[in-house]
Amino acid sequence: MTAVAFSWTIWIFAACAMAMTLRLVIGPTTVDRLTTLAAVSAIVLAILTVSGAVGARPAFLDVALVYDIFGFLGILAIATYTRAARPGAPPEGPR
Amino acid sequence: MIEALLAIVVAASIYAMLSKDLLHGAIALSLTSVLSAAIFFLAMAPDVAITEAAVGAGLSTIVFVWAIRNTERTDRS
Repeated sequence: MTAVAFSWTIWIFAACAMAMTLRLVIGPTTVDRLTTLAAVSAIVLAILTVSGAVGARPAFLDVALVYDIFGFLGILAIATYTRAARPGAPPEGPR
Repeated sequence: MIEALLAIVVAASIYAMLSKDLLHGAIALSLTSVLSAAIFFLAMAPDVAITEAAVGAGLSTIVFVWAIRNTERTDRS
């Protein structure tokens, strides 16, 4: 029962990630694509956590922990770049 | 379930190659690294998944954005 529910859950997550990829390809602005990256990161974190919990191997949750930190840093770098590129924003320091 | 994730990896990689805006290409490459880490995890290789998530999704994205910030954003070819 748990295995069937896990399989369906992973398939639903994969379908949601494919819909997000459509927004990555056709999204007109950078912020749409950044939103896609953040949402797919959340979906992948859910996949990692659920599969680590179903497999009953807590060491696998380290992957989710590490990705949660470094993925946030990457998203934060891109978001800081879009803030600097916005017109009317305060000027940056020396390049 | 791995086939669906592989299809997304292929789509994001093709978009990263064809995009004229380099920041959009960097976002697509980060997405590719995230899904590659998930595929490695589902293939029972958690150490490879940890390395891919730390280096591919985190540090290489920061390095790409730093390089784009110090040069220019559009591809002129």
